[in-house]
Amino acid sequence: MDPRVYESDTRPDWCPGCGDFGVLAALKNALITLQIPPERVFISSGIGCSSNLPGYIRTYAHHGLHGRPLPVAVGVKVANPNLVVIAAAGDGDEYGIGFNHVVHTARRNHDVKLIVMNNEVYGLTTGQLSPTSKKGQRTKTSPDGSIIYPLNPLSTLLGVGATFVARGFSGDPKHLSMLIQEAIKHRGFALVDVISPCVTWHDIYDEVRQKMYKLEDVGHDPSDLVAALHRAQEVDKIPLGLFYRSEEKPTFEELVSSEVTATIPVESVRNLSEQEFAKAIEPFQ
Amino acid sequence: MSSANIVVETNIILAYKMSDDESSKDVTVRLGAAAGDGIQSAGEIVTKIFSRSGLYVSTYNGNQSLIRGGHVWFHVHAGESRVYSLGFGIDYLVALTQLAYDEHYMNVNRGGVIIYDSSVVKEHDFPDHVTKVDAPLTKIALKYEKRPIMKNTVAIGLLCGLLGLDFKLVGDVISEQFFRKPDVQKSNVEAARDGYEFSKQFGTLKKLTYDYTKRRTFMHADYAFALGAVAAGCRFYAAYPMSPASPILHWMASNAKRFGVRVFLGEDEIAVVNATIGASLAGARSLCATSGGGFSLMQEAIGQAAMTETPLVVVDVMRAGPSTGLPTKTAQGDLNMMLGISHDDFPRVILAPRSPEDAFRTAGRAFNLAEKYQLPVIVLLDFAIGDGGYATVENLNPNIPIERGKIVKEAAPDMHNGVWFKRYALTEDGVSPRALPGTPGLMFVAKTDEHDEFGHDLSDVLAGLREAVDMRRKQFNKRMIKLQGVAKEMNPPDVFGPDKADLTIVTWGSSSLPVREALERLWGDGFKVNSYEFYDIYPFPADVESMLKQASELMDVEQNYTAQMAKLIRRETGVLIQKYYLKYDGEPIYPIEVVKAVKQHIAGSNGR
Ligand SMILES: Cc1ncc(C[n+]2csc(CCOP(=O)(O)OP(=O)(O)O)c2C)c(N)n1
Ligand code: SF4
Repeated sequence: MDPRVYESDTRPDWCPGCGDFGVLAALKNALITLQIPPERVFISSGIGCSSNLPGYIRTYAHHGLHGRPLPVAVGVKVANPNLVVIAAAGDGDEYGIGFNHVVHTARRNHDVKLIVMNNEVYGLTTGQLSPTSKKGQRTKTSPDGSIIYPLNPLSTLLGVGATFVARGFSGDPKHLSMLIQEAIKHRGFALVDVISPCVTWHDIYDEVRQKMYKLEDVGHDPSDLVAALHRAQEVDKIPLGLFYRSEEKPTFEELVSSEVTATIPVESVRNLSEQEFAKAIEPFQ
Repeated sequence: MSSANIVVETNIILAYKMSDDESSKDVTVRLGAAAGDGIQSAGEIVTKIFSRSGLYVSTYNGNQSLIRGGHVWFHVHAGESRVYSLGFGIDYLVALTQLAYDEHYMNVNRGGVIIYDSSVVKEHDFPDHVTKVDAPLTKIALKYEKRPIMKNTVAIGLLCGLLGLDFKLVGDVISEQFFRKPDVQKSNVEAARDGYEFSKQFGTLKKLTYDYTKRRTFMHADYAFALGAVAAGCRFYAAYPMSPASPILHWMASNAKRFGVRVFLGEDEIAVVNATIGASLAGARSLCATSGGGFSLMQEAIGQAAMTETPLVVVDVMRAGPSTGLPTKTAQGDLNMMLGISHDDFPRVILAPRSPEDAFRTAGRAFNLAEKYQLPVIVLLDFAIGDGGYATVENLNPNIPIERGKIVKEAAPDMHNGVWFKRYALTEDGVSPRALPGTPGLMFVAKTDEHDEFGHDLSDVLAGLREAVDMRRKQFNKRMIKLQGVAKEMNPPDVFGPDKADLTIVTWGSSSLPVREALERLWGDGFKVNSYEFYDIYPFPADVESMLKQASELMDVEQNYTAQMAKLIRRETGVLIQKYYLKYDGEPIYPIEVVKAVKQHIAGSNGR
């Protein structure tokens, strides 16, 4: 496949050095490696610096509302399961205003992939505290340092039954691309939380580089949920890689396809036949 | 409200019709009991019996926001010719509890009947010229079960006996209703037969002409809309439970397999509307429905659909608000919200079907408008015609035209790497061709940021630059200009009654129905009155101004405090309506209230 098929004529407007460049590169690389034609890909994003991503990679996309990338992605996937559906947004989007959707999309195991560009601040709105900001973190909204503990998205998602949980780092796009490929190949919902530092408001590149290690280097078994929870709770070190994966649960789309209806909504815009209609009216007579 | 709003005491005016009036070819029945007594099911049985006797029906479900106890009632109006609303007063009251008697006895018409069981209900102030039928409903019911659960069935048998209906039909309908419970199916029929036999000592009290060869179809607007939507190709439905919109969800879920509808029960209404937008963007005909509270949560996303130019159909089955309000009661208070959904200006369409039949027809139209003009279409139903009321439906035509608008199926040869599809191309009618995901070469980003023809942001690096400012204006105009096309498809109000009248009632949506029955009564009393029934609400239909200006005098009838429709009319036409009958207590408008209001206005009085 010609690697240029994903190219966009629009240049990213991110600050030079922003972590999101690494995520964009990793995503493109993953799609090209998997040889997925761009027309089969749908990216749903929210509002934030990170959510500008769809403009920079030429696929079908929806650049929607703050917090709502997942429900849009779910609608697309249910209507047309032949598409590879990816939601991509920031930590404010996904762990703040839209966290409800993350929990329930994971619980229902929709076959959509969520990439969160987690920079521990609200970048676009000039660096306020986000749900993943650390205790003590200084921002415009916490001049004396945050008094609140952060949300741990990985252990929360493991707790609600997510079937694929991984963490990547925008400073290592090759590793990240591998995680995104695994997520796309996974049968079901996948969270790829990406530490994607905001060089303007909260530059944590050095800290991450010092504390990070790779789960695959320490023999972590991604089928072991307890071990995954354990790793997800680590704070002194930053484990990267695949925490947990299980394909035991069917996806929502498989369930509706087999148990409810095999017809794909997008292919079935038609009238009811006279007989179908007569049947539908019967209970009302 | 303005001093010209007439307030009519509902309780007093209900008892108006003399049902001993020989010419009356209709009957009203009210069944009252506690929640959990099976009154809704009893009401449905009676409605079905009437419908299979060739009668037309219109019903109302006076239920409460609880599952057991309290007081619930079911009202059925049936007639030999078309009935529209709840009729006048009560001809037959079945009072299974004391509260049912206390609440309704005073509304029973002269010549009417009260059925009760004196072992449970103490009658008092028994109205004159009303037949007392004290029946041992409990005793009979106890023959069949330890708890007198079947007393409503006994009452149905008794009622049908008094009405001179054929017992075979009564038995058939009851056994159908209990087909899932074979253990009590037979005993319920027997209990009904006992009631029917008991009625014989009273003879037939009021009889209509029944035609047992005619099976009339009846449904409420929630079901009718759901059916119309699926018949028009809708195969994706999303919802979060909320009265009185839930029947749409239940119907879709139970018919999902049969018709291939994928049903998504979202975590909240925000997820619901966004998923519906996603499904629509993917190319499905998709629908979601809710009531006012859920709609409030959906607003930001509806602006999104307008901005991204994604077709969207949303139903709001209105209930009495504000806030939680009266969840099982009716209102038309959400029109203002629809006119002002979300922030800044964007095109939208508002449709307000008047009846279940209308709702069926509206579904297909809503999808066609949404797809042809790529904008949100809002359909306003309400409890009175939705979950709360059945009506006879006729002439449902399943061959609904499906118009999907401009869809490009293939990329032009000059589409090459790096270049996006011109999803927001400037066109004369404002509608740009769209592409469905999966089509090679036509990739685009559906944008909520202001954008150029390719969907590129105008909001960041270009914002404020001369070219971007110009394009912003062009895109804004393009979105809004679509309304001109829609406006050509909007219908002016239907005129009910004579073309020329001394007084014209202006009304909309479901309020049209009680107004019709009021008008029929007023014509009988010699009044020259008619009504304008609005059902295409926005964009405001053309030529309405001249219609309104031709009318001698106007009176607005609707179910909200601030006369929202009258205000819209003023905004769109400059015509100021100065007479009102506004109701906002949660109860449906009864025809008699409109009759009274008209008479008072014509007499020149300004309310009480
Ligand atoms: C409903 C709503 N509330 C607030 C905003 C303002 N807003 C825009 S982006 C943003 C936060 C962005 O942070 P994040 O999602 O972490 O993305 P980042 O910019 O850091 O990539 C907020 C609060 C909005 N657009 N919509
Ligand atoms: S503000 Fe931060 S998150 Fe936004 S583009 Fe700049 S570096 Fe990236």
